[in-house]
Amino acid sequence: MPKIIHYRHKCIGCNICYEKQPDYWRLSKKDGKATLLNAVEKKGIYILQIPEFAAALTRTIAQDCPVNIIKVI
Amino acid sequence: MKNNSTPEILAPVGSFESLQAAINAGADAIYFGVEQLNMRTKSSDPITIADIQTIAEKCKAHHIKAYITLNTVMYQHDLQLLRTILTEVKAAGIDAAIAADFAVIEMCRQMQIPLHISTQANVSNIEAVKFFAPLSDVVVLARELTLKQVSDITAEITRKDIRGISGKPLQIEIFVHGALCMAVSGKCFMSLHTQNSSANRGACTQNCRRPYKVTDLETGIELEIDNEYIMSPKDLCTIDILDQVINAGVTVLKIEGRSKGPDYVYTTTKCYREAAEAVINGTYTQEKIEGWKTELTKVYNRGFWEGYYLGRKLGEWTESPGSAATEKKIYLGKGSNYYPKKQVGEFTIESGSLKKGDTIMVTGPACGMVKETREQLYVNGEIAEEAGRGDKITFPFATKVTAKDKLYKIVL
Repeated sequence: MPKIIHYRHKCIGCNICYEKQPDYWRLSKKDGKATLLNAVEKKGIYILQIPEFAAALTRTIAQDCPVNIIKVI
Repeated sequence: MKNNSTPEILAPVGSFESLQAAINAGADAIYFGVEQLNMRTKSSDPITIADIQTIAEKCKAHHIKAYITLNTVMYQHDLQLLRTILTEVKAAGIDAAIAADFAVIEMCRQMQIPLHISTQANVSNIEAVKFFAPLSDVVVLARELTLKQVSDITAEITRKDIRGISGKPLQIEIFVHGALCMAVSGKCFMSLHTQNSSANRGACTQNCRRPYKVTDLETGIELEIDNEYIMSPKDLCTIDILDQVINAGVTVLKIEGRSKGPDYVYTTTKCYREAAEAVINGTYTQEKIEGWKTELTKVYNRGFWEGYYLGRKLGEWTESPGSAATEKKIYLGKGSNYYPKKQVGEFTIESGSLKKGDTIMVTGPACGMVKETREQLYVNGEIAEEAGRGDKITFPFATKVTAKDKLYKIVL
């Protein structure tokens, strides 16, 4: 299954991930950065396995992210 | 209006190296941003909320003012972070916040944090100044005004005795040096539309700085535009018209460049500090201006022009995509040891080589920026002509050297 990798500390809270894929993302009310829901954190990097059908959309989000902190592998 | 006191020199700070460089160069005040709510969020090593206290303490110790920029577009989800930052700002005693969004303006009012109106608010007339006066102490005017328009505004402030929130006469600040945008005072959507990277959230990709072609969609014929960089203005430089700037009643002179290095911050701050003092003392001469201009061209620049201040309708465009600095810095290595009794620093060379007589530059959070010519070279404890990769060089150094101190060679 594909994985989303989110380097959260570099997020500038532009909102695009949440706008396009609200099932997976939220904008934290605490620090204004995007949070990848239900992800596992390892040293500040957030990882979440997603089904193949969702990955195509996440890949477009990864391209749209202004600070390139979203990867789909 | 004639100014008799030296205006405040406001230096850009994007790192602790730049902070020290600004202090060493004689800045009266510095401005910096934290987290994602400022116009330079793409920095590789951003300043964070945890650093606010340190910056405030350092500035207080050196008797200079510190301002925090909170001038991006603010979304609903940013408001909590904004409050967290402002709480820290209040606790640390930062001198003012620089803002354009009404949420920040209102929150500063509630929390009684002094406020400056950012150039992002595009203040261009006396009515707008009057509107912001009960909320702020300083208004940064739009960068597209002429000096005549600026002096008309400052004259009206004096005539009508417009005062800021603190009760003191409202101060006017303008940009005197640094990058200019093709759009009106930063209100640009090019980076957002082409790369979804919003300049108004501090993530400008600067794609206006590149050359473009025009394509006929019917025939596919491409035309290259004669002047390639039609969207990339040269940098603003007012060192040769600083007497006019100061006589326009401006009391704060702002230098752009929080993304630039400590060498840029040191040189620009020092030149404008000296020039402003020279204007006030009546020693502002053509010879000195030439000297400052030579210094300014050594650090990052895209070529200079005087912006819109003298009434130019159309900008001057750059000739290349990058910097036109006459001096280039080459990274050699970093600090590896310090001998406090002898005040000697040791640096390990990681790449390139250094010869006797070369000019070196060291940047670091403790020293800021230090540039000197090495007439004597101690390599691995002995006098030598040249040092290469892996060698340890030592020389007298006033501040403690750590791995955060970077050693560069200056080449022309």
